[in-house]
Amino acid sequence: MMEQQTIWHRLLMIDRRILYLILFVNIIIFLLIPVKVPTVTSPPVRKFYDTIEQLQPGDIVMVSSNWSAGTIGENRPQLEAVIRHLMRKKVRFTVISFDPQARDISFRFISRVTQEGGYQYGKDWAHFGFLPALVAGIKGMVKDIPATIKQDIKGTPIAQLPVMQGVKTLADYKMVIDITPAGTVAAWIAYRPKDLIVLFCPTSVMAAEAYTFLDSGQVAGMLTGAIGAQEYEQLLQQEGLGTPFAKAISFSHALIILFIILGNIALFMSRRAQGG
Amino acid sequence: MWQIEVGTTTGKVYVTLIVLAFLALFLGFIPVMQALPPRGRRALIALITFFAGLVFAAEFFLPVDKKGENWLSPAIDPAQNTLQIIGAMALALGTYGLIRLHLRNIVQQRSQWGYSVVLIVAFLTMGFFSVWKTLAEKGELRQTEFLQKGFTLLFDNMLVPLEATMFSLIAFYIFSAAYRAFRIRSIEASILMFTAMMVMIGIVSLGNIISYSWLGLPIEQTAEMEQNPFSLRNIGYNLALPRIAYWILQALNAPVQRAIEFGVGIAGLAMAIRLWLSLERGIT
Repeated sequence: MMEQQTIWHRLLMIDRRILYLILFVNIIIFLLIPVKVPTVTSPPVRKFYDTIEQLQPGDIVMVSSNWSAGTIGENRPQLEAVIRHLMRKKVRFTVISFDPQARDISFRFISRVTQEGGYQYGKDWAHFGFLPALVAGIKGMVKDIPATIKQDIKGTPIAQLPVMQGVKTLADYKMVIDITPAGTVAAWIAYRPKDLIVLFCPTSVMAAEAYTFLDSGQVAGMLTGAIGAQEYEQLLQQEGLGTPFAKAISFSHALIILFIILGNIALFMSRRAQGG
Repeated sequence: MWQIEVGTTTGKVYVTLIVLAFLALFLGFIPVMQALPPRGRRALIALITFFAGLVFAAEFFLPVDKKGENWLSPAIDPAQNTLQIIGAMALALGTYGLIRLHLRNIVQQRSQWGYSVVLIVAFLTMGFFSVWKTLAEKGELRQTEFLQKGFTLLFDNMLVPLEATMFSLIAFYIFSAAYRAFRIRSIEASILMFTAMMVMIGIVSLGNIISYSWLGLPIEQTAEMEQNPFSLRNIGYNLALPRIAYWILQALNAPVQRAIEFGVGIAGLAMAIRLWLSLERGIT
């Protein structure tokens, strides 16, 4: 009886470093082992995919990439999967960042992915660089993109880029895809031209807030973190970073739940042992 | 009225005059502020705050023409540009403060002054390569192999992994906190814990494995199931963990989020009015 009480008490008072180690080992194992985890596409991801599928070759899309290295685990798989899908649909796209670090990160990752897909910078896609003011930037682009952005990331005047032929304002775009760990999507919804479709790629922690926009139809589709990227990769039938990341996240959730249950059992048993 | 054609000679004269006027105003403002008693200083700041806010409020409330604009609408863009300039000045001020503090740490060899050395070196190195790279991308400086290697080393191989590591530490804290905090102590705590667990399992692949692979619940809803909502197959379809998680997020979470956003919006409006009228204690 005494020994049992000690075990439960020890479990309750477990050193946090042991918990960290267990989680670390769990993540490493499920990142490395080649286990196939079946996925069923959730409705927001299905809507996201179907919306992009409706694009025609030559259409133009704005990718608003506002994430920095802190959320690379969730936003990079989303960005890469989305760019691959846009290239598959032979759609032109331009990228803009409202975060200074996002400018370089998005440019580097998109450059790599577009090279694989044979997309040419300037002709098929362009990066508008960093814009400091989100609302003023969107409002400016609604009126006149070349006057608001002026130059792309390489210093070329926007109006001279072949990808921008026939494009003057945001109303000429088919959709905007906001990849972000912050609340930038609300500004896109509020200030976009009426017919511009909004697609959203938030981190998991931001997704809960976006269900209101999804419910109202203001956001046409959503990829939630690495899990959303994994589902999207399965729809594209092209495995990227989302699949291994989501596998590690999935089993980490299971581990957390297991420990929550264990903690509650330990609490119950220790109270019973104390006669409480 | 608010837009000046900077390409013309008249425009250039106007811009020069405006810049000089602002400079004189700014330089004259410092001795005025120092000469005024604290009460007068506060009144002057409140007056400037009120008129700055009035531009945006009046532009929103004044009647508009067919284009949706009034006589103040063209002033909004320059006003927002001014905000960016003020933001840039704040950034410069912050940088100056940071460097000053850490240089003082080094000179006076205060405790842990080694960290200040690391900060200054990292700041200068990263700043040097970033500015060089930005100018090189625009063709104003030469792209060299040294620049490419240096920037890749600092950005791709140092900044990105360091920041990602810092952020990922949250997962470990959450694991530890969830283990200690999620305890069944009341009915409310139990409901919260149960709901959290359903969402945590339901949104990840494990929910699919349990519901569809182990329990064999139907993945798709057929027309027959829709016609018979109380059939066992339809009940099973709706009881799959991913379906429950999605229902919680859409039917329970979304209305609550909406209510919170309305509350935050109203509170934001009240706070904005207080700031505009300098009723907040912090600035009066």
